[in-house]
Amino acid sequence: MKLKELAEKIGARVVQYGKSAGIEIKRVYAGDKMSDLLSEATEETLLVTNLANTQLVRVAELMDVPGICLLNDVVPGPELVRSSIEHGTAIIVSKSGMFETCGCMYQCLYGGGNSGS
Amino acid sequence: MITESYRIKGGNFEHAGSASSSLKERLKKIGVEIKDMRRVMITAYEAEMNVVIHARRGIMRITLNNGQIDIEVTDEGPGINNIDQAMKEGYSTAPAEARELGFGAGMGLPNIKKNSDLFEIESTVGRGTRLRSTIYLKLQVISGSVRNSLHIVSELCSECMRCIHACPTKAIRVRNGRPQILEHLCIDCTACIAVCDTGALGVEGAGDFKEPSEDTFLIIPASFLVQFGVNTGPERVLAALTELGFRNVLITEAWEDALHEAVIKYAQEETKVKPVISPLCPSVVNLIEMRFPSLIGNIAPFLSPIQAAQNECKYMYKCKAKAQDAVFVASCPGQHTGLKLKALSINVRVITPASLFKAVLPLSDEKDKISRQYGPVPRDPQPQGVLHISGIHHVMNVLEKAENGLLNDVHVLELFMCDQGCFGSPLMVEDPFVARHRWLNTQIKYTRSAEAVRRKNAFLARPGLRLDADMSKAIMKLQKIDELIKSLPGKDCGFCGAPTCSSLAEDIVMGRAEREACVYLDVDEDKTK
Repeated sequence: MKLKELAEKIGARVVQYGKSAGIEIKRVYAGDKMSDLLSEATEETLLVTNLANTQLVRVAELMDVPGICLLNDVVPGPELVRSSIEHGTAIIVSKSGMFETCGCMYQCLYGGGNSGS
Repeated sequence: MITESYRIKGGNFEHAGSASSSLKERLKKIGVEIKDMRRVMITAYEAEMNVVIHARRGIMRITLNNGQIDIEVTDEGPGINNIDQAMKEGYSTAPAEARELGFGAGMGLPNIKKNSDLFEIESTVGRGTRLRSTIYLKLQVISGSVRNSLHIVSELCSECMRCIHACPTKAIRVRNGRPQILEHLCIDCTACIAVCDTGALGVEGAGDFKEPSEDTFLIIPASFLVQFGVNTGPERVLAALTELGFRNVLITEAWEDALHEAVIKYAQEETKVKPVISPLCPSVVNLIEMRFPSLIGNIAPFLSPIQAAQNECKYMYKCKAKAQDAVFVASCPGQHTGLKLKALSINVRVITPASLFKAVLPLSDEKDKISRQYGPVPRDPQPQGVLHISGIHHVMNVLEKAENGLLNDVHVLELFMCDQGCFGSPLMVEDPFVARHRWLNTQIKYTRSAEAVRRKNAFLARPGLRLDADMSKAIMKLQKIDELIKSLPGKDCGFCGAPTCSSLAEDIVMGRAEREACVYLDVDEDKTK
């Protein structure tokens, strides 16, 4: 599913799409540990995390991550927004917490019954 | 060789990661393969963050050699008291400030180690820590998807150079003491594995053998059943597999036979270009896609037998909710790749024959129970017009003839890269001719009937040999190569790590080797002095 479509479906607030609006999201990885995010990040993965700091954008940049979904309607700081604009990383903000957001995304990506991969 | 160093300031979370960023830009220009790029980035970033979190200052030194990167990070900091403890996942001494930012999960050093090919760390308490990581970088694939399953264990290479000469497509180089595969040239045959005595070359995903569940399907090649000597017949081996817990064993020959019949039927239609080539051996298909693109139209549009078997498992899963997982024994890298290419809803594991050998052995002396001597079994004669050829050199010859239109009297070509088809895979132990003979002298009933499956996608030519996507550049490169060849001795000795002088010339122009690699050049220059 395209990032833009996914963001709309889960009703996320879009800070910016950067160059990633049309990127196909094949995988979502959620976590609050930088090392976890780093080793699981790929160019098709949307990262879901509470960590709203600039290092997160750095990890996204290093691992070619198309986008980051922040949680709990947080307002990302100007530093984070600036560096994400610089690197073209999409930033979207979900209104709910990690559990609800992931559930919602799972429904969008794998929902509709059969394939529970 | 490129050497660079980056300064890292401790405690500076604002600019942390900048050394890793600039390293990434450099590697992009060189065109490092994406998987290796990930490994380098994880290693560099974790190492950099360790300095930022724990030390006052540090330096990251990068050394880029042909095919490998060394990352050395030295810092002035508190040092590590107990390195073994620090290497454990989950152990961390990071301060609260770092933890707030999501660091300090105790995964840093384990993460670095996991992604490095070589890793060492030394530390003095009160002074600092030095960490070294080496990552082998794969050569860049020019274009197209990566389609091979060769596995290299560099440490085992003894630099005997046999593989470079054995490779029919000249896809192997041995440099810096280890073999490298030019993936765009590799056709997933077994020529290099067959000549490698040290075990440096093998098949990917050998994986450990796991206990099967009740619904596990095991799919094995017929050749597997005749690897255990004269007194242990296929029935005994099948019984041993059942003892292991595999209640559902399928033999790939069922799908080979189905394909055989389907291709003959397909070839009977008058309009087909002759000879029709059966896609039995994935490696032969790769070879045609790369070296003989004009014959692509001759390949019958079916899935390879092992892919058809995979399809069948998927089908069984769908309609009966059985076959939750399937274990395939691939007899060559080509089959392995064929299985990898398809994503399935069931859990497919691919293992090498060797790991299943280990599981089955020792086959106890209960031979009276089931084992049976071999005896002649009547077989259907080969239908006319089907030409069965095995062995790399014969296959290449025949394809060349077919390309030149000299094989129009043949209806169907069944080609195998290995001698005697899959019985000749170097992953098996028994002699191919003996193994095939024994198999032909036994009669095993397939537990289920198999069907050939039509392909949905067409076979496509591979860009393998193309020097550059841009034709004019490719021509220029070709000219350079021609000039270089003239200056090389033409002995094809292989000491430089390339199989022939012309391969070395191509490597030099493509930036994969230096001219100094040639051992003869110095001698000649000395003479002229």
